[in-house]
Amino acid sequence: MSTIQTIPAAGSTQDELYQDAARKFGAALERLARAYEADPEIRRDLLQDIHVALWRSFAGFDGRCSTRTWMYRVAHNVAASHVLLQRRTRSQALVGLEELENLPDAASGQSAADRSQALDRLLGLIQRMKPLDRHVILSYLEGLDAAEIGEITGLSPGNVATKIHRIKSVLARQFSARGTQP
Amino acid sequence: MTDQKQPDSKQAQQLWQSQPVEDIKMSADVIRRRAGKFEHRIFWRNIREYASSLVAAILFAYFFATTHVVLFRVAYALFIAGLGWVVLQLHRQGSAKSVPAAMGALTCLQFFRAELERQRDVVSNVWSWYLAPLVPGFVVLTAASVIARPYPAGLVAAAFLDAVVAVIFLLVWKMNRRAARCLQRMIDELSAAENSR
Repeated sequence: MSTIQTIPAAGSTQDELYQDAARKFGAALERLARAYEADPEIRRDLLQDIHVALWRSFAGFDGRCSTRTWMYRVAHNVAASHVLLQRRTRSQALVGLEELENLPDAASGQSAADRSQALDRLLGLIQRMKPLDRHVILSYLEGLDAAEIGEITGLSPGNVATKIHRIKSVLARQFSARGTQP
Repeated sequence: MTDQKQPDSKQAQQLWQSQPVEDIKMSADVIRRRAGKFEHRIFWRNIREYASSLVAAILFAYFFATTHVVLFRVAYALFIAGLGWVVLQLHRQGSAKSVPAAMGALTCLQFFRAELERQRDVVSNVWSWYLAPLVPGFVVLTAASVIARPYPAGLVAAAFLDAVVAVIFLLVWKMNRRAARCLQRMIDELSAAENSR
């Protein structure tokens, strides 16, 4: 996990807080938007919505959590709203980690797949997940620790630990060493 | 967790974090402009949601202006008032709202649950805010049709219209009940996740 300084300077304005967060976490926000929306055009809109919500949210930032936790809460909450809005038009039902654990292992015949294919498969897996599980796996993939994931999602430490264990199990089965090499 | 799982999940983390990004940067000024555009988009999204009610209200206003029968006028006025109430409720509770400014203060569980509960309440109360306000207009329209036309043609036409409307109302109510149950299941799942230690 990176050691990014996430405590804002005293007296930071809304614009400064936003610029600082966008500079540090801009790439993470792009990856997050990619995990919530497959269509590039709609994804661009979603990303802009997240940036706008983030900028607006910093008007009410009270410093009770780090800017990173704040940023992820805003981004995930905007994305969850997006998932709810898309719910009526989406044909495929969303599944939880428990159901993903029961998916068959990735076929070793696909082992020659390159990083792009592996990434596509990982994205496909994430985009099928229910919002709360998606929050957890994305936070995990971004390298956040269990305490921070709990702070963002509101899940208990024990629940986060259980979900991370399941995530590792799913990833191990779908991206095993004899399967796709990232 | 087994030891053999660790490298695969680490590889997945590396794969995820190393994916190419466009590195989109927006200055605060650009964001301000986008925020304005965002509100504009929300406005038009809401207008689209209200469009059917507005079109119907315009149609009833035309009927109101062209008929000379008082009872029909009363019916059309009640329809316009009912549709106005529906639009007001859509505006107050509709799905296409701008995001709350303090959403960073809420955990994902708190925010998601509040959003699901809001949507569940909207669809489960569809009878009171969407269907019931239109009933007075239909009742008066039925009476006006029966009185204005010769027996039994007026009665048959009114009965046919009321039957069609009743079926549509029933379908809308059932569809929304189903949506409310689906949302309640999602809320229950969140509650289970929240209470799980």
